[in-house]
Amino acid sequence: MLPWTIYSSFVGVVMLMLLPREQARAARVVALFTALIGLVCALAGALQVQAGSSVAELCRLEWIPSLGIDYHLAADGISLTLVVLTGIAAVAGILFSWNIEHRAKEFFAFYLALIGGVYGVFLSFDLFLLFVFYELAIIPKYFLIAIWGSTRKEYGAMKLALYSFVGSAMVLIGLIAAYVVAGAKTMNLVELASYPFPASFQYWAFPLVFVGFAILAGLWPFHTWAPTGHVAAPTAASMLLAGVVMKLGAYGALRVAMTLFPLGLKAWQIPFGFLAVTGIVYGAMVALVQSDFKFVIGYSSVSHMGFVLLGLMTINEVGLSGAVLQMFSHGVIAGLLFGVVGRMVYDRTHTRELAALQRMNLSQAIPYAAVTFLVASVASMGLPGFSGFVAELQVLIGAWHAFPTFGILAGVGILVGVAYMLRTLQKSFFADRAPGGQQHGHSLESISVAERVGAALLMGTSLVIGLYPRLLLDLIVPSFHSPLFDGLRKGAGL
Amino acid sequence: MNLSLSILEFAVIGAGLAILLADLWTPVPQKRNLGYAAAAAVGLIFLASMLMQAAAPAYAFEKMYVLDGLALFFKRFFLFAAVIVLVMSVEFADRIEAGIAEYYALIMFALAGMMFAASANDFILVFVSLELITVTFYVLTSFQRGRLHSLEAGVKYLILGALASAFLVYGIALVFGVANTTNFGELMGSARVASARPVFLLGLLLVLVGLGFKIAAFPFQIWAPDVYQGSPAPTTAFLAVGSKAAGFILLLRVLFSAVPEITVNWTKLLMVIAGMTILYGNLCAIPQRNLKRLLGYSSIAHAGYMLLGVAAMNSAGSSAILYYLGAYLFTVLAAFTVICVVMRGVEGDDISAVAGLHQRSPLLAASLSLAMVSLAGIPPLAGFFGKFLLLKAVVEKGATQPGCYWLIAVAILGVVISLYYYLGVVRAIYWSKGSAELSDIKVSWPIQVSLYACIAAMFYLGLFPDRLVNIAMEAVKALKL
Repeated sequence: MLPWTIYSSFVGVVMLMLLPREQARAARVVALFTALIGLVCALAGALQVQAGSSVAELCRLEWIPSLGIDYHLAADGISLTLVVLTGIAAVAGILFSWNIEHRAKEFFAFYLALIGGVYGVFLSFDLFLLFVFYELAIIPKYFLIAIWGSTRKEYGAMKLALYSFVGSAMVLIGLIAAYVVAGAKTMNLVELASYPFPASFQYWAFPLVFVGFAILAGLWPFHTWAPTGHVAAPTAASMLLAGVVMKLGAYGALRVAMTLFPLGLKAWQIPFGFLAVTGIVYGAMVALVQSDFKFVIGYSSVSHMGFVLLGLMTINEVGLSGAVLQMFSHGVIAGLLFGVVGRMVYDRTHTRELAALQRMNLSQAIPYAAVTFLVASVASMGLPGFSGFVAELQVLIGAWHAFPTFGILAGVGILVGVAYMLRTLQKSFFADRAPGGQQHGHSLESISVAERVGAALLMGTSLVIGLYPRLLLDLIVPSFHSPLFDGLRKGAGL
Repeated sequence: MNLSLSILEFAVIGAGLAILLADLWTPVPQKRNLGYAAAAAVGLIFLASMLMQAAAPAYAFEKMYVLDGLALFFKRFFLFAAVIVLVMSVEFADRIEAGIAEYYALIMFALAGMMFAASANDFILVFVSLELITVTFYVLTSFQRGRLHSLEAGVKYLILGALASAFLVYGIALVFGVANTTNFGELMGSARVASARPVFLLGLLLVLVGLGFKIAAFPFQIWAPDVYQGSPAPTTAFLAVGSKAAGFILLLRVLFSAVPEITVNWTKLLMVIAGMTILYGNLCAIPQRNLKRLLGYSSIAHAGYMLLGVAAMNSAGSSAILYYLGAYLFTVLAAFTVICVVMRGVEGDDISAVAGLHQRSPLLAASLSLAMVSLAGIPPLAGFFGKFLLLKAVVEKGATQPGCYWLIAVAILGVVISLYYYLGVVRAIYWSKGSAELSDIKVSWPIQVSLYACIAAMFYLGLFPDRLVNIAMEAVKALKL
């Protein structure tokens, strides 16, 4: 079932390419249908595959036998969690881009190609295959932004593409080095993870691969692609970028860098923990002073992804499962926030300047958007009842065990997070009507059904996980007992 | 003496002569179609080459000529390239004032030179085959007599090519003077004794200079951008693919079957050349606005990547070069075929000429974009796997030669830079403001077939590389690595 998440996406791409150019509506329907199939496959797979504390094999074929490279798909709880996230984000993204008319079929073709690549990364257990899927996502990202984007789209798109490419080049070198050191016989993740790489090798290979992946997860100080890229991207693309593409980086860091090089991880734990905390606090502080609505959300993504990276660096079970849960949670919440900013507000008001929005009295003009954004910000601040709370709490507990100072600093980051979300909430939707302000009230088109459904999907997901986190934690926590993490247990004391 | 070994070369020369003869009886309006006959003939020879086997090396002409797996690999390579180039030339025919049949014939003679080069086992044959290639290219580059750019390209190629030939022949003379032989097999025996003599090393270095010119390696790359820009598109394509590959096969033969003991000491030199070539090509490509010139610089960069495989000095590296050339063949031919069709009546070959190409012809747009993405080395296209193999070979070498890690860093830097300008071309195709010309472009069916073949090959090599990897590994067993 699960491999069909990948295949259906690429079948969708082919179907879209065969459509006549004018059929924007048909393109949307095909895309939505494909994304729904992906989501159903993902959910069915998550229920069907009882990964538990092992890795569930899905598909293994010889691909390049002379180099020991296989077409090898498998899943554990972590993959399942992220595959489900991808399914949800994909459907929501399409619902939020229902108004795309300009070259719609190409838009959705790139969109589905990106989704297919993302599914592929989460399910690959052969490093070469994983890398191929990882790189596959670069070109669609570039086009989605460069063609359909807004503010400084060429700059944002190229910056994003180059950052991703630098990161993946670093990863590639690290992977080839690991492959060669281990005897150039296999690219199998589980086998390589159990190979005892010499410590001196791990000391430089770990940072290389980790940073290579973490660039895409917005690791400070390599995060600068994220705000510009998110702002330049069209709504659906920024939902995907923040929602799942950044998770690719974090996932790769955990799945590849950490499991392959536990000794390197141990040596670099404090420096990278520090960078993660810096990202949390820095992202939040910068978000506090932005005047562009979308930049606030962009920097908030940097800050929240800092929690994921901090959770990874704790190297204890609470922190790690918190990190994975935070990936899921942030994927949903960031998607929601970008959906509100990009689709519900910007497409209607054609401005994202908070100062301009302040005068528009949006809470009365588009109340559904106001409520959605209220829910999303509350979830983003980490209030109990939503997924962000459980995830960030776990990360904080884990950090407290590993490095209390960083834990406290991350706590400060949460407080600043409350501040910038409240500021934005007040300025964007709930400002007092300024005297002489524009009466925009009745000219805005009302929120469409597609948007309502998309927003409800994301809000509901965050709420369900917030109220009953065991749904995911039961998947995630046992995965850390799988053979894949043996090295991490022995080498880094997980 | 075993003439039957070089049957393929003789067939090509015969076909070339036949085209020249047929030209005399063909009415003027039909002359253009001789190109299809030439392409069909070369295509048949290509198919015939598929039937040939070269399990054990076989020698001819007093061991000057060798037919082994490596030679056969390259002969097939050149034959396939020539088919596409000939089809392209037919498309180009109306831009050549006179003598189109000679143009086809010259391409086939250059092809014969390349095929001889693939089998060279003696410095004399190296020189003769290189001259056959170079002299025909002097004419091919300046074939558009009415265009100043074309003439300029021809003159530049002539002067610098002659200089390189002088270096080569002087080097060969020095080598012969010391070792008293020009045969690779005999040289290998006497090289250890001769290598004590600095004159011998000087001779080899001069040979390297001559070959470096062919592959456009730094610091002998100066001619490439100008000649690529000025020459007719089919010539440029053949120069980029055939001439470069001929340079590489000769380089491999000289370094790894004539003087392997000496080559081992040249690791650092080769590493520096590779690194500089990569950086030079990629950095200079950034500001280019002329598409052919851009590809000229990019071809320098790709020569640099392939030199990584030479510098790695292991069979993984050499087989990676073969794989890379295979991927490069389809990619570059696809790109130049598109250029050849699109740049009709456009002076300057500016990138803006491909603006809005996706509306004019989706096939051309897709081919050129895929070619660019493959050159940039993004999976699942062929270019990516080639780079993967090359990097793997250098990493393997890194265990004994720590400097390799610097070389890898340089290579990676080059790859990242290259993404910038390749994406620039793709961006122009799919998304650019105000393209002047939006009329549909008619693509003739032979061009369509060759484009589909190139696209299919790019995907095939990228998705199922195993077969070519095995062939390449088998082929390089001919070298003493």
